[in-house]
Amino acid sequence: MHPRAYRLKFPEPREGAPPSVLRVRPAAPPPTGPGPGDQAALAFESRELWVAAYVPDLALCALHSSTRTAPLVVVDPEDHNQRILVADARALEAGVRAGMTLGAALAVAPGIEPAARDVARELALMQQLAAVAAEFTPSVSIEPPDGLLVEIKPSLALFGGLRELCRRLRAAAHAAPVLARCGLVPHFTLAPTALSALVAARAGARCFITDPNVLPARLKPLPLRALRWPEEENRRLEAMGVRTLGEVLRLPRAGFAQRFGKTALSDLDRLLGRRADPRGRLARRERYIGRLDLDHEVEEHERILQALDPLLAELEQFLRVRQRGITALQCRFHHYRAAPTSCVLQLAAPEADAARLRSLLRERLATLALPEPVRRCELRSGALTSRECVSRALWSPGERGFASTGEMPALVEHLRARLGARAVYGVESVAAHRPEHAWRVAEPVMAATVPDAPGAKRVHRPIWLLRDPEELALRQGRPWLRGALVLLAGPERIESGWWDGGDVERDYYVAADPHGARLWIYHDRTGPRRWFLHGIFG
Amino acid sequence: MSGTSQQLSELLAHPSVWRGRSRAAMETLPTGFAALDAGLPGGGWPRHGLVEILTPGPGVGELYLLLPALAALSRAQPARWCTWVSPPHEPFAPALAAHGVVADRMLVVRTHLPLWAQEQALKSGACAAALVWLTRASPKAIRRLQLAAEQGRALGVLYRSQRHADEASPAMLRVLLEPNTSPGKCGARVRLIKSRGGSREPIDLEWSAAAA
Repeated sequence: MHPRAYRLKFPEPREGAPPSVLRVRPAAPPPTGPGPGDQAALAFESRELWVAAYVPDLALCALHSSTRTAPLVVVDPEDHNQRILVADARALEAGVRAGMTLGAALAVAPGIEPAARDVARELALMQQLAAVAAEFTPSVSIEPPDGLLVEIKPSLALFGGLRELCRRLRAAAHAAPVLARCGLVPHFTLAPTALSALVAARAGARCFITDPNVLPARLKPLPLRALRWPEEENRRLEAMGVRTLGEVLRLPRAGFAQRFGKTALSDLDRLLGRRADPRGRLARRERYIGRLDLDHEVEEHERILQALDPLLAELEQFLRVRQRGITALQCRFHHYRAAPTSCVLQLAAPEADAARLRSLLRERLATLALPEPVRRCELRSGALTSRECVSRALWSPGERGFASTGEMPALVEHLRARLGARAVYGVESVAAHRPEHAWRVAEPVMAATVPDAPGAKRVHRPIWLLRDPEELALRQGRPWLRGALVLLAGPERIESGWWDGGDVERDYYVAADPHGARLWIYHDRTGPRRWFLHGIFG
Repeated sequence: MSGTSQQLSELLAHPSVWRGRSRAAMETLPTGFAALDAGLPGGGWPRHGLVEILTPGPGVGELYLLLPALAALSRAQPARWCTWVSPPHEPFAPALAAHGVVADRMLVVRTHLPLWAQEQALKSGACAAALVWLTRASPKAIRRLQLAAEQGRALGVLYRSQRHADEASPAMLRVLLEPNTSPGKCGARVRLIKSRGGSREPIDLEWSAAAA
């Protein structure tokens, strides 16, 4: 595609943006600089649009805590000199600068609180950010430690154009609850190549470029250090008077390659899009694990639920993006001394709604005994299952025309969350002769299938069955229960089960007691003559 | 003038308006017994509301009374549950099937909190009917169940001992069931001790061939 045609398709960025950003020239002459510029520019087509997100103070965000009062400085634990990597605003105000040794910093500002850098937490935060971006496109990759690259070109049509997509991406990143909690605010840039977007983001420049032809001109003022080349090369270039990208791009190609090597040259080519720059895609997690350290120890269930809210919101987002649901959710609550308390929420149908999960967790928590206050919460999802999305009904539950398929599993879960999984069950018939084997406890059937026509045999069976037959007293050789029983019908002989040890030989009778209740009794034909009550006709 | 009286009669026909001796207009469900249908206000069990059935004990036909209605509800579309909250024994699936009840729609709840479970079931909207066996229930609790049944548009059935027949109860319909002890007969005598305009005479019922 020709660059002109491309710009016609996406004219939005030209209106209303700051002039410094959108000073778009008519197709500029191919850039001069290192390399055979003419050929490269002709061969190049803008097929990609990259958004880069850079988190300037990731190390500070990772160590964020709302209870901290002292100014914070971050130190690399592997550095012998203990140089300061980042200092927060109050430490900077006190005179601390990045690069100082810790000793010097403490001399300048004795009140600062040094903390070791938490690389794992930093990576976790970047993964959170990547998960937000993954809502919009699958091509998301993390540039360690603090950059994120997102290719958005294929998603433009779906999300209503470039401007709308960028707006949504930024809003989603700011709204993500866990990121917002630790004050992480990424800086976004847009450019036709991955490296240029990343470099502009690191330099903190405002950059919203869609036309690859204006790229060299726009990159000119950016500092060379944003490329993150080895410190030694940066120093050599600075010694040559080269400090910006514009200056390095002006250097003759052959000589530059000789002095700084092919890697540096290929970096410059990728910067301008003269060389392909494929990026890996972030593998998607297939299970959700969320952790949250609480600022205070919490004991009340309602407060714990409140603390879990951001995690549940994140879980909902996680599931919505994948269009999946979960059928099991594990919560672990960590304490100071006692072993973690764990509770598992079993769901009858795949669920992805945070509000529903919350109400189930409330019921579950009500029955959970915590040995100590909670310091940290953890949510782990079971395996993801496919979830059918159903539209919400206009009618309230039970009204005409309303399909209550969603309500049926909801009731089962709700009851089970409070009473336990085994307290709620369905029943089903089994083709067997022994009454105690002719039914069994079954998992409630959720499918709203049309029941088939009654094909059941018209057998004479009581509606109530006793779990264990109850032996009846005998008076004058006749069975007795609150009075002498009168046999109304029978016998019906059932002999079965010799193969599994549950051998029965029984004669069943329908009997009536003096109060008018009708009972199903049998006498056992093995051994002495004993009568048992086995069922009651409702 | 005629316009006003017409408006008035329209207003009075509203299901939530009931005047002393008249029969309440409400959505009902045929009981499956012609004699009982004729005696009940609206010609059947109320679809949304609480029915209290008072019996001398289990086995006197308290379920036979309800089975035709349960069979109809379990076959209705869209599918909804019929819950049995803390029943005295296990409902026997082959017997239910023999009476045309779809056992898949039955949900048994064993709990030490029957009132809570019954209220949740009634107001969830996922139940067509919810049956509960209670030994003790205050009028306040029964009132809650009645409201929950109206909210969730479900038929709530409360089984209690006939000892409570003299107590006040906010249930919409109260039925006293006495077994028919005469030999050779299989049925029961039903009295509507509270109803919105139902029959005051005792109604004799005979169970169908499948039950007898």
